[in-house]
Amino acid sequence: MEKMSRVTTALGGSTLTGRTMHCHLDAPANAISVCRDAAQVVVAGRSIFKIYSIEEEQFVEKLNLRVGRKPSLNLSCADVVWHQMDENLLATAATNGVVVTWNLGRPSRNKQDQLFTEHKRTVNKVCFHPTEAHVLLSGSQDGFMKCFDLRRKDSVSTFSGQSESVRDVQFSIRDYFTFASTFENGNVQLWDIRRPDRCERMFTAHNGPVFCCDWHPEDRGWLATGGRDKMVKVWDMTTHRAKEMHCVQTIASVARVKWRPECRHHLATCSMMVDHNIYVWDVRRPFVPAAMFEEHRDVTTGIAWRHPHDPSFLLSGSKDSSLCQHLFRDASQPVERANPEGLCYGLFGDLAFAAKESLVAAESGRKPYSGDRRHPMFFKRKLDPAEPFAGLASSALSVFEMEPGSGSMGWFVDTAERYALSGRPLAELCDHNAKVARELGRNQVAQTWTMLRIIYCSPGLVPSANLNHSVGKGSSCGLPLMNSFNLKDMTPGLGSETRLDRNKGDTRSDTALLDSSATLITNEDNEETEGSDVPTDYLLGDAEGEEDELYLLDPEHAHPEEPEYVLPQEAFPLRHEIVDTPPGPEHLQDKADSPHVSGSEADAASLAPMDSSFSLLSVSHALYDSRLPPDFFSVLVRDMLRFYAEQGDVQMAVSVLIVLGERVRKDIDEQTQEHWYTSYIDLLQRFRLWNVSNEVVKLSTSRAISCLNQASTTLHVNCSHCKRPMSSRGWVCDRCHRCASMCAVCHHVVKGLFVWCQGCSHGGHLQHIMKWLEGSSHCPAGCGHLCEYS
Amino acid sequence: MFVARSIAADHKDLIHDVSFDFHGRRMATCSSDQSVKVWDKSESGDWHCTASWKTHSGSVWRVTWAHPEFGQVLASCSFDRTAAVWEEIVGESNDKLRGQSHWVKRTTLVDSRTSVTDVKFAPKHMGLMLATCSADGIVRIYEAPDVMNLSQWSLQHEISCKLSCSCISWNPSSSRAHSPMIAVGSDDGSPNAMAKVQIFEYNENTRKYAKAETLMTVTDPVHDIAFAPNLGRSFHILAIATKDVRIFTLKPVRKELTSSGGPTKFEIHIVAQFDNHNSQVWRVSWNITGTVLASSGDDGCVRLWKANYMDNWKCTGILKGNGSPVSGSSQQGSSNPSLGSNTPNLQNSLNGSSAGRKHS
Repeated sequence: MEKMSRVTTALGGSTLTGRTMHCHLDAPANAISVCRDAAQVVVAGRSIFKIYSIEEEQFVEKLNLRVGRKPSLNLSCADVVWHQMDENLLATAATNGVVVTWNLGRPSRNKQDQLFTEHKRTVNKVCFHPTEAHVLLSGSQDGFMKCFDLRRKDSVSTFSGQSESVRDVQFSIRDYFTFASTFENGNVQLWDIRRPDRCERMFTAHNGPVFCCDWHPEDRGWLATGGRDKMVKVWDMTTHRAKEMHCVQTIASVARVKWRPECRHHLATCSMMVDHNIYVWDVRRPFVPAAMFEEHRDVTTGIAWRHPHDPSFLLSGSKDSSLCQHLFRDASQPVERANPEGLCYGLFGDLAFAAKESLVAAESGRKPYSGDRRHPMFFKRKLDPAEPFAGLASSALSVFEMEPGSGSMGWFVDTAERYALSGRPLAELCDHNAKVARELGRNQVAQTWTMLRIIYCSPGLVPSANLNHSVGKGSSCGLPLMNSFNLKDMTPGLGSETRLDRNKGDTRSDTALLDSSATLITNEDNEETEGSDVPTDYLLGDAEGEEDELYLLDPEHAHPEEPEYVLPQEAFPLRHEIVDTPPGPEHLQDKADSPHVSGSEADAASLAPMDSSFSLLSVSHALYDSRLPPDFFSVLVRDMLRFYAEQGDVQMAVSVLIVLGERVRKDIDEQTQEHWYTSYIDLLQRFRLWNVSNEVVKLSTSRAISCLNQASTTLHVNCSHCKRPMSSRGWVCDRCHRCASMCAVCHHVVKGLFVWCQGCSHGGHLQHIMKWLEGSSHCPAGCGHLCEYS
Repeated sequence: MFVARSIAADHKDLIHDVSFDFHGRRMATCSSDQSVKVWDKSESGDWHCTASWKTHSGSVWRVTWAHPEFGQVLASCSFDRTAAVWEEIVGESNDKLRGQSHWVKRTTLVDSRTSVTDVKFAPKHMGLMLATCSADGIVRIYEAPDVMNLSQWSLQHEISCKLSCSCISWNPSSSRAHSPMIAVGSDDGSPNAMAKVQIFEYNENTRKYAKAETLMTVTDPVHDIAFAPNLGRSFHILAIATKDVRIFTLKPVRKELTSSGGPTKFEIHIVAQFDNHNSQVWRVSWNITGTVLASSGDDGCVRLWKANYMDNWKCTGILKGNGSPVSGSSQQGSSNPSLGSNTPNLQNSLNGSSAGRKHS
């Protein structure tokens, strides 16, 4: 509270001072009204009727108007109004339909003056004439409005709205004889007080009940109405037909609306359910409230500006049994808190940016940040009533697009599409990928591929025979290689190299450990696998390998872990023929003349690499124990992959992982690999590189990944005889017990490519159907359908 | 380097958020005028508004796309205390002929009693989940148990943050090693300095979100928060828009070292802090690889930040909001990180390690 400001307003001699404050009432309030001296407020409710004086620091209870031991229904107030000319005169609307006037000047404790029991149901609203001392108007649930002259015992005239209940009645401030009334059916009526027979004008203002209305204090033609449809509408009543000037959309049904004094376009609203806040709107900016008071914990039922010429004090009563004085200066301002900018990075490096126009237009909108810690957030601009309205705030939206080739993600797409990941010898893959990277100007990546080639493959220049001979004198061969590696690749001095260097030290012990274990395991296999050699592979691959040969057709290999399929497997032979095997073992197998490697062993390796990782390990190890073993580098390679991943280039990490296969896989824990795979696949899918993504999925050895493209692909097939859906079992229909996929031409069961017409579902062997349809356009099954083969 | 393409958005009040979809071909904007617009990129690169509709009865603060696997789905949140899920309807209609698409509301999430300030879909691997945060300081996590039925969402978690929330960000990591995590920022303006960024982590054992970390050094109102896309990184990068731009790294301390079952402990480093906007920073957004951060502030500029190989973050570009010429290189000199000079005591509180170092 201490931060709340204090406002003093000079108003023609008298001064208004005060602060934001509240006081507890004994019971929920239904309505409040302010005395014309702006120093007292009356609060009325079902079981409360009290007058409080508004002191500087607090509310002080001055008078309790509920007197007598037996509470009377007449005291259960739905509305209260304080006469704006006579400080002693009040009127209340009772829930039992009685209109009561109160004279504070009476000497007795009971201030009740007059009782009008004319309405049959709850009186929703009472209203004094703004200039006539004795005229009181009431509107009731029974659909009637009554005008009372306080000098008489009964009503002067009765106005029938000819409809459901009256929710509000308000005398026009300038037009002496006019008042407006609002109805539960959404209508607003305008009456001349002298003509009770029919209304002057009627129009539908809202969809659903109109709960409240308020005449503009200055512009006599303006009427604000609020309804259950959550809208506040401002009508110009001067024209022949009521014209909607403004429409404010609030977030809950509008129970009360009050124009703000001295601010032409401001009005305050509160709701009767859900929303406990009071909002002040500028009707010209109908979407964002200019101010918001959040003090109440339950529905606000009554609002009143404290003084008809002071815009900064608002009083409110609430169902939470409290009475509040709100200072406009202490209001929260959603406009100020609202985020004025939107920013989003696009996939291709483009940026969408939306900003408040005043911020981007010129320097004028700039609000420099001052180091003030007390109000760090918003430089609360006091809503100055006299300030000219800048019109609706609007935003400028623009998209900054990357010029092609200037760091957009084009390189990623190119790289993904052009990298070769499998199907050729390692050396070739590395060379190819290095070339791709170099062409895209990514020299560090290119260098890395070259390094990998040097590490894991003997240089292509070294003939295989030469290599085989060098077994046993490893150090002599390994050292020069190491040197060349250093010279060539350390010079760029880029992050990865320095990093690798540094890591070498820490991980040396690990390497040794791995080394020893590896030799332990591989000792027994050494003899067998010695003959298998990458160099030969390389030559072999060189002879046959073209760049586009990424897939090897291998009809013999069916996936061993084939799950239960909906269709007979023969229906999709293509799918299973594209089996790509990790590069290493596949070439072992190709080399049929190798006497040492049994075909079945290699086969097993290619099908279930994880199980036979040890034997694979031995393959590579056996090759290189002549020189520095690749295991020596594996830690470096692992760290390099990690480095690339941490730098955001998961593409490189995954590509290397796939290309090197078993050579590095064992060094990286499964979870990390899986993380890389999922990240890369996600990225590929963002760029709609479905083919690459699918290739990566297939090449991955992680079970969680490789099952990705086996999920959620279901083919629903109907039997060609009974047209019923086929069960998951084979090619025999459950219902008609016939073979479903019979060839319509040769009447044999099709156990290969089955082609069928989507119109009549007849089909057969691809060859037969093609031949048939060359000569005839009718279905070979004789169903009369005109089939098309395209 | 950049070409500005100005778009006549035709929103009737401030635009509060823009969001690209998964493939970067669609864009959604939301505004205080209570509407959301969807923009589609044509072959020629122009953006066309293909849908515009009234979504809420208050300012729409945020709009966000779901993964396309779940359909063309948007979520929006508003001052009117609700969040809503929208789906594009495919079908032949008159709208289609006019190049307009039709969006229908699938659900309204009405649990908040105050303005819903942010809404974000969870990473795809978690299923169809949605988190909202509201001004009353509660983060709510909803799940659609049946991804085919977007009208049924169940409130799974309510996390109380004690502070008025302004923004949330899911940790996008798909690694099994990283449990689901959500960072929450607060724009609470009260002068008493409290940490404005909290990080909650899902605990498999208790099946609840528990606070994992609080960034004690961030005491100014936070307007936006964003985890960088995690492409296989072992650690997380978090960008924060407050009175300046800040970038933190959160490195999980290995599980074996911590007591099992408890929340993951993180080594938190501040790696960059820039006050170049010289004003409130409203938005931060990462590029797709999490290597470049864009920030926008009250100065009406977008600034791009990138780390060099030494992990020193530098300004690599400035874009003026009105599309005026970009002075990228000339500003380089002025973009010295304010680190060190401004915040000498800050680093001590962060595990005693200095900022701007490698994470190794």
